[in-house]
Amino acid sequence: MTQRISGRTILDNLPWLSLIVLLGVFTSINPRFVGAYSLANIFLVAAPLLTLSFGATYVIMAGSIDLSVGAIVSASCVIYGTTFPILGNWSILVAVVFGFVAGSINGLLFIWLRIPSFIVTLSTLSLWKSVALLLVGGGAKGIPMKLWKGLAWADLALGIVPLLFLISLVVFAVFYFVQSRTALGRSVYAIGANERAARMCGLKVNSTKFWVYALSGIGSGAAGAFYSIELKTSLATIGDPLTLLSIAAVVLGGTPLTGGRGSVLRTLLGAMLVIIIQNGLNTVALDVYWQQIVFGAFVILAVFLNSEKGGRTLIIK
Amino acid sequence: MEDVLFRTRKTGKQYPGTVALKDIDLEVRRGEIVGLVGENGAGKSTLLRIISCVEQPTSGSMEMHGRQFRGKNLLEANLMGVGMVFQEQSLMKKLSVAQNIFLGREKSFGTLTFINWRKMNVAASKVLESLGLKDILPARKVIELDFAARQMVEIAKVLNLVGDRQEGCLILLDEPTSVLNEIEIKKLFEKMKLIRDQGNSIIFVSHRLSEVIEISDRIYVFKDGQQTALVERKNANEDILYEKMVGRSTSGEYFKVDRQTDPGEEIILEARNLALKGYFKNVSFRVRRGEVLGICGVVGSGKEEVCAVLCGDDRPDGGQIFVNSIERHFADPAAALKAGVLSVPKERREEGIIGILSVAENISLSSMKAISRHNVISYRERSNRAKEWIAKLNIKTSGPKEHTETLSGGNAQKVVFARAISGGENKILILNHPTRGVDVGAKEEIYLLIREITERGIGIVLLGDTLDETISLSSRLIVMKDGLVLAELEAPKDNKPSQVDVVRYMM
Amino acid sequence: MATEENNSGTKADMITTTVADDFSERIAAERTRSRIVELGPLLVMLALIVAMSVFVRGFFTWNNLAALLQQIATPLVLSMGLTFVLLIGSIDLSLEGVMGFAGSIVALLVLNTKNQLDLGVVGILIAITAGTLFGILSGVLHTRLKIPSFMVTFGMGSAITGFGILSYRGIPASVNDPMFAHIAAGAFLGMPLLTWFALVVFFIALSIERYTAFGRHLFAIGENESMVRATGINVDTIKVIVFAWAAFCSSVAGVFGAIKLNIGQVIISNGFLFSTITAVVVGGTSLVGGSGGVVQSLVGVIIVTMIQDGMILLGVNAYVQPAVQGMIVIAAVSLTVARGRKLVFK
Repeated sequence: MTQRISGRTILDNLPWLSLIVLLGVFTSINPRFVGAYSLANIFLVAAPLLTLSFGATYVIMAGSIDLSVGAIVSASCVIYGTTFPILGNWSILVAVVFGFVAGSINGLLFIWLRIPSFIVTLSTLSLWKSVALLLVGGGAKGIPMKLWKGLAWADLALGIVPLLFLISLVVFAVFYFVQSRTALGRSVYAIGANERAARMCGLKVNSTKFWVYALSGIGSGAAGAFYSIELKTSLATIGDPLTLLSIAAVVLGGTPLTGGRGSVLRTLLGAMLVIIIQNGLNTVALDVYWQQIVFGAFVILAVFLNSEKGGRTLIIK
Repeated sequence: MEDVLFRTRKTGKQYPGTVALKDIDLEVRRGEIVGLVGENGAGKSTLLRIISCVEQPTSGSMEMHGRQFRGKNLLEANLMGVGMVFQEQSLMKKLSVAQNIFLGREKSFGTLTFINWRKMNVAASKVLESLGLKDILPARKVIELDFAARQMVEIAKVLNLVGDRQEGCLILLDEPTSVLNEIEIKKLFEKMKLIRDQGNSIIFVSHRLSEVIEISDRIYVFKDGQQTALVERKNANEDILYEKMVGRSTSGEYFKVDRQTDPGEEIILEARNLALKGYFKNVSFRVRRGEVLGICGVVGSGKEEVCAVLCGDDRPDGGQIFVNSIERHFADPAAALKAGVLSVPKERREEGIIGILSVAENISLSSMKAISRHNVISYRERSNRAKEWIAKLNIKTSGPKEHTETLSGGNAQKVVFARAISGGENKILILNHPTRGVDVGAKEEIYLLIREITERGIGIVLLGDTLDETISLSSRLIVMKDGLVLAELEAPKDNKPSQVDVVRYMM
Repeated sequence: MATEENNSGTKADMITTTVADDFSERIAAERTRSRIVELGPLLVMLALIVAMSVFVRGFFTWNNLAALLQQIATPLVLSMGLTFVLLIGSIDLSLEGVMGFAGSIVALLVLNTKNQLDLGVVGILIAITAGTLFGILSGVLHTRLKIPSFMVTFGMGSAITGFGILSYRGIPASVNDPMFAHIAAGAFLGMPLLTWFALVVFFIALSIERYTAFGRHLFAIGENESMVRATGINVDTIKVIVFAWAAFCSSVAGVFGAIKLNIGQVIISNGFLFSTITAVVVGGTSLVGGSGGVVQSLVGVIIVTMIQDGMILLGVNAYVQPAVQGMIVIAAVSLTVARGRKLVFK
């Protein structure tokens, strides 16, 4: 008895299938790709991207967008680097709180002003970018080497899996729990799927919208701290490519931009896909310039594959 | 023998599960105004949509000038001489009057997309003048005009679209007077007579019988998708029309009238002088424990908006709401839910169910606390509850995990009901057309459900699908017309008011 | 019986007047708001001119005004493209990408340091055409595949940037063509040549907006697209043309950038997306479509350029400026957006 494999089933499984295929392809071109050093590097690079993409997932599942994630990461990275000499590892808390504040500002503006999310976050993007550049006076500021001992904990690893990656997995677990087992999480899905109905059901739409942005901010704040820890610098431009990358992670994982469906689990896959594609392209020595094109095309393709052809209005037509 | 301009022969429209129109043999002669009256859901709007080719009939045919009339869309209808002025405005506010009139047909006024506006304005003036609208300047942007003027421009636009025909054209007017004042209505009637005297015909739909009687040459009465009467103007009066509009009351058994709960003493919901600008004013009523309060009124009477205010969807501009004698202000439906007020919305697909979520999930949405332990949702509890409701309400579904969008209308509606009463804490339900698009068997089950709900002491505000349904289900009725409550009637199970009695106030 | 009917008759009259009055109030309110949005920015601009002349040292000098005239060239051209896109209710996030791409290409086609080509004006035309083609592609993807404009232009913008970088493989070309230097330095009647070109684009846009059926249709589509389709107008074709026009304007701006800096690289467009959106929104064009226009955008560009200029004169840190712009956008948009309580906004 043959089982019908619907188009939907293929699409749903595409992310991890692609992951395996790509791993295979890149490894066959360059066997060192799955070497310990390469993998450890992948995990390290993945950690902050994962953290910031989980919050971005919520925003997208709720049917909105957050363009300011990259800028919040930059600002947070700078804040961490600036406060580390003073507060040591407590700076992580500062970075996370900052992320929460930044995300809350997004959420509040979005709810109060009732203007499209991409405008709100486009504006706050400028704000945080400015803050990042101001704090660091233009470029980057290294964390003094004598303080690096305080950061040694970050170099710990479980085999080839760095501690930071494990932390991001913990963050994943939290986000996964919230999305599946809390009223807030279920509200996110409901609102993204059909906001009007969700409202009429008595769900707290405004409150939910606020929290997705706040959580996105927290994720970005943590990611900024991670970057600062990894690079041992305050880099105000670290976040520039991250908005596109986080959206790519969400979208490649199979979460549709129209909202109502998806999962941080998918984003986990998507982020790994992103990193592997990036690293893979590097390893096979493809022009860096092609990567931009590849990503742009992938994102469009993934959105198209996942969109409902009913023409639901998105953020703006 | 009068010239017949337009005719329908046994025209019918069937939707899956409901018959909207059946065997309509309508005749419109040249140079006459035909009035069309009937209750909500009698089929008037459906017929207009079919005549204007926005929808296709499922049976029967139509003729214009004796030749077959059929079109795929509005544009084709226009080209064949039929135009419709929609209740919702179709004018573009930032364009001028002339640009609106000639929208899509600018080619004749210029070359290569550059348009000579002056030429167009002159042409527009001619169109406006033929309707006696000398004081509307064609170059003015529509946003500068007041509503009555916009209405006139719409009519001029439609007239111009269907063309300058020797044979006459047909104009459909759907509730054009709803928001006009007396003077403006008089002016509108003058124009309508002018159009008629030029050899065209008009089908005029309005819920205000006095108006229809005043302006129409002949009046068709619709009831339940069929035409029940054709009355000449000289024979028409409101009583006759009421009689013909109203259906035979369905037996009480169908509506389970014998199970109607006697309301208790306690007042659980009170509205005092509620007002929403432009929609309703001075609305006051009380709902007692176990009572079903039915609100009767035509489309545009304000009853929908009252429901929106009661469930928190809209904020009133005046008045107060009391739940269990405590004054409440609902910022949104979430706040209303907290106070124990929840609605079953009218548009099931858009506002009632969340299609891509499962049945179990939908049922739990308004009562997530009930399935959670320490704020953690228990999937088992959610699934069990869903199974309970599926059994109790006889919901035909493959299981709690099925996507709600694949359920049929009646079953989806039951899911919505399950959601509304699942938490067990709701005191008041606002039911907005709860049996709309639901098959007969499911309807009866819902009526039974409503009786059971009231037996438990929950109060209901009901907007019924038909007048019959509203009267039979309710223990008390308020009748609204044009934004005001005109009457309050008792509807005890042994002495229900007749439909005619109620319709009298509605129209 | 008769008395009953009489009573309900008079009451009915009262009712009709009440609901009708409320309704006309609402229409009047809508009209007032529309007027405010139309005239507001103009008043703000005039007020700003006065305020800055008085309070900002160095503002009201020939030098500064000349500098202002130069600065509005690029934003003006960009806003002409974006205005049409916003009018139909869409968005174009590929603005920077196309601009950077065109700027990179043109530098490689005229006399430059990287290759032997010396195509002069033809090179400029090729660059602009190439950019415009991308706009057509965006429009087609949007209308045929029904991908929201947000996403199409976002992805397209990234891809085009990539093509741009690819074209010069990381090492941008420097331009040696004397024509470029000539245009950059040239002026006519006191106004820089580039600004004149920008004004030409402005007048083209204005003519399209005011004097063609196409222009009027843009407003109609933004207001009620389904009704426009029902009229038989080919909305999809119009949309593709709009995106092509936007890409055209972005390409022209890219060429401007290459001319000004004598170099062709993608970062010349950095920041322009946001500042263009700011200018158009501040000028009064609505984000949801259906209202606004190129004259409004001109006013918006002047306001934004003046504020930027003022901040520089006041010695405000360069990094603070985008933040200020951000707040201006939020303020401007929140003042003009529709206030439906039940509106779903995403």
